[in-house]
Order: sequence, then C-alpha cells, then structure tokens
Amino acid sequence: MTGRVIVVTSGKGGVGKTTASANIGLALAASGPSVALVDMDIGLRNLDILMGLENRVVYNLVDVVEEKCKLRQALVKDKRLPNLNLLPAAQTRDKTAVNADQMKKLTEELKGMFDYVLIDSPAGIESGFQNAIAGAEEAVVICTPEMSAVRDADRVIGLLEARKDEISQYRLIINRIRPHMVKSNDMMSVQDVLEILSVKLLGVVPEDDQVIVSTNKGEPLSGSSDNQKAGQAYRNIAKRLQGEEVPFLNLDAMDATWFTKVVKFFNPARV
Amino acid sequence: MQLLDWLFRKSSDDARSKAKDRMKQMLIHDRLELPPDRLSSLEEELVAVVCRYFDIDRDTTRFDLQQYERKAALIANFPLVRSKT
Repeated sequence: MTGRVIVVTSGKGGVGKTTASANIGLALAASGPSVALVDMDIGLRNLDILMGLENRVVYNLVDVVEEKCKLRQALVKDKRLPNLNLLPAAQTRDKTAVNADQMKKLTEELKGMFDYVLIDSPAGIESGFQNAIAGAEEAVVICTPEMSAVRDADRVIGLLEARKDEISQYRLIINRIRPHMVKSNDMMSVQDVLEILSVKLLGVVPEDDQVIVSTNKGEPLSGSSDNQKAGQAYRNIAKRLQGEEVPFLNLDAMDATWFTKVVKFFNPARV
Repeated sequence: MQLLDWLFRKSSDDARSKAKDRMKQMLIHDRLELPPDRLSSLEEELVAVVCRYFDIDRDTTRFDLQQYERKAALIANFPLVRSKT
C-alpha cells in the first residue's frame, strides 16, 4: 500500500487547522479508505480532544520516534470508525524532540499502512512546521478571510513552493466565511482571497457555531449528516481530496433577494 | 438619503475593498522583501532620468506595483508633454 501524505497547515494559529484535520480525517475514513491522523503539534496536543479520544492515549509520536514503543502500539483507533487512527503528539515534550529525518521515516512507515496520512501541523513556520512538512507530498493550507491569516498563508505558500520537488500540490481552504458580512462588504470574499493568494481552492467552510459544540462533545461535525454547514463543507472537501468533482457551496446565493438585485442594478460594485 | 448614500457609495470605501487593496500591496512587498521606501526612491531616480529628455506631466504620472498571479510587475506611466531640446 502506498498512501498519500497530506499536511494541514496555515502559518497563523487559531484559524482551524486541527478542526479541519479532525473533520477531513473522519469524512475520508467514513467513505472507505484507511486514514491516519498525525498530531504534529508536539507540546500542545489537541487533536485527541477534538476526536474525543483523549482517554485512550497511551503512547505518542515521540515515543515511536525514540523507539519506546512500536508504531502500532501508539496508534489510537477511533471509536466510530475502525479504519481511522490517531497518532497523538506528546504533551510534555517540545518541538525539538523530533527532527525532519525522523518524520520522513515515520511518514514512510505510515504510508505503507494507510491510504491517507493526514498531518496536523503546528502554527508558525519554524522547526515544528518544518518537521510537519518533511514527509508530506501534498499540502492543505487553511486561512480565514482576515488580513493576518491571509498574510501568514501567503508566507506558508511561499515556503511550500520552495519545496516543489517534494510537495507536488497545495490547495486552500477558506474557513469561517460569514456570507452576510461579505454581502455587506465588511469582509473579504472567497474570490477576493483567491485573487490575492493565486492558489487553487479546495473548499469553503462557513462560520458555524456547531464547530464549538462538536469540539466540546469530541465528535467532529463531518461525522453526522445533520450538519449542513461546516460539516457538509468538510465532507465535500474529503470528496475533492479523493478526486471527485463537487461544486463549491454557493454562499452568495444564500441570501440573494430582490433587494440585492435592485442594488446590483444601480451599483454593480456593491454586490 | 442614507439609503441613496449606501446605494451609490464608492465600493473602495468599504472594509472589504480596503482589506483587499491593503492585502495586495502588503503581499507584493512581502514577496519581494521590498523595504517601504525603496519604491519611491526608484521613482525619483527614474523621473529624474526621464526629465532629462522630456517634460512630463507629474500630476498624471503613475508608478506602482501590481500583482500578476503570484508575481509582481512594476507599472510606470510618465505622460510626456514635450521633448527637451
């Protein structure tokens, strides 16, 4: 088996990397393939919480690298899907506990066991990020439609481009878009961000209160078909990663009323 | 009147357009690692050279950086009034 190694990264912290990793991982596994979720945020372990697996963690990524346990022993099987596994980060160590060569070796081993190896990168562009992208072949860049997040995403894209030989493609997820704010011209739109960054789009995730609820429950949204906003967006992203063509959610169409049409008639630049 | 103001307000006044314009300029500078005053000193030097050959219309001179894909281009437009003798 030769799986795909995909790193989820952003530069800026707090834009939704870990939430995206958990949701994409669950949605991918739900459609069949085997998935390993790797938490590379050593010292700030969180992916286990989002997956609701924090009580099952025995060994971690650093233990594997230091050969204190076998890789199989450190993998935590998801309670919903047996084909979904989590490799937790160490909580009491720091980023210097592993290096890029060790990460390459680890992802090689995981590639032989799983169809998808999804690496949740830490924030920043220093050693933790460099380790996270060391064994990756594809990247998913997350940003929100805020200036600081877009700037940091641009920096990360520059760094990914410099590794073109290893990382064959990178695509963007725009997270926490608020259609009503775009509509009133108070927030950058999906098109604006794409124009600024000139990258391929992988998905658009609308702002959704249910993300917080699902984190509290330890059940990623993409796992239940009830959620039609962020959950649906992540399910679509998982399909696109598998090569399926899924149209993007038309967030603009959500509230196109007769009034916005009248406004558009008078002043097209406003709508 | 507020409604009319809102309807006809220039799009560049709103937060969305402001963010987009600032973002584009900022990223051009980031990507080129361009210090903030570098462009204006280049403009001064270029204008000085052109002015040795032509009178130019300084009011309509255009000199800025624009984004093309992930690269930048320098757009300079010096409207010429007459050639110097």
